Amino acid sequence: MARVSKIMLTGVPTLKKEAKIGDAAKLLAQAQVGCVVIVEDKNPIGIVTELDLVRNAFSKGRSLKESVSRIMTSPVTLMAPDMKLDEALKIIDTKKFRRYPVVENGALVGLATKKDVVNAISDNLRFHRNIQNIVLILFVLFELFIFVLGKYMPQYLPFGI
Amino acid sequence: MIRIRSIMTRDVITISKNSTVREAAQLMASKSVSSLVVVERNKPVAVVSERDIIKGVVSKRKNVRDVMGREFMVVSPQATFSGISRSLKEKKIKRFPVVENGRLVGLITETDMVEATRDFTRFHQIVQEVILAIFGFATAFFLFYFSPVGASIFG
Repeated sequence: MARVSKIMLTGVPTLKKEAKIGDAAKLLAQAQVGCVVIVEDKNPIGIVTELDLVRNAFSKGRSLKESVSRIMTSPVTLMAPDMKLDEALKIIDTKKFRRYPVVENGALVGLATKKDVVNAISDNLRFHRNIQNIVLILFVLFELFIFVLGKYMPQYLPFGI
Repeated sequence: MIRIRSIMTRDVITISKNSTVREAAQLMASKSVSSLVVVERNKPVAVVSERDIIKGVVSKRKNVRDVMGREFMVVSPQATFSGISRSLKEKKIKRFPVVENGRLVGLITETDMVEATRDFTRFHQIVQEVILAIFGFATAFFLFYFSPVGASIFG
């Protein structure tokens, strides 16, 4: 099973908590990742997603000069880079968030998204399922062969029944 | 085969292209949705995402007309999940208004696709365990057949 470090996005935009909503909006308008992680000494303390900006800032007519800490989601659920993907999926199923900052030694190293975790597990499952089914079918064919041999031509069996 | 009808969002929120960006943001907040479909005479002409709204606010554009995304693909409710998933990966199209008999009946976004994939994963795991159990029983029978007790029963 692959680990979070293999599927996480790197180069996640970050802002200090003193930053303004306008700064977050500018980053999100350019960035490919749909969120900005709010950090304090490299340590993630919150997250501002496209959803937070639209539903909590723009719709209420907040000024773009207000602090991001007023609209950020905090606290955030963190993941570790050496976490297995099925552990990550368990967290995702219970927490219902879509984005999780990945932290190593207290510093932000990446971002794990629900989409990437689910897609990685789905691909992995498909691959393993095919192999597993081929092995199972070969095994059962072998059993059938021995079965027929034992029933009709027991003299060819290396062991007696 | 998974049909789009079973995974699409049915309550599509629509907006006119003459509305303001602010109205679009308020609509998203009050209906708790992340995409709005822009319709003109009941036909989808564009899709507005949260990112479009943010870009609009940053570049100080006023109307939905100036920010709406034209990159979308109309699909039928009978379309299959795998077909759409191919367009998502290869053409990078992320929004799929679902139209039936010329009427907008649903919307598929990337989030719906991820949710569906998550559910199939769970379903596939159950199927896999059932297959394993069946083969397990076959093997148990095989061993039993060749055991002294089995031999005395089956002759």
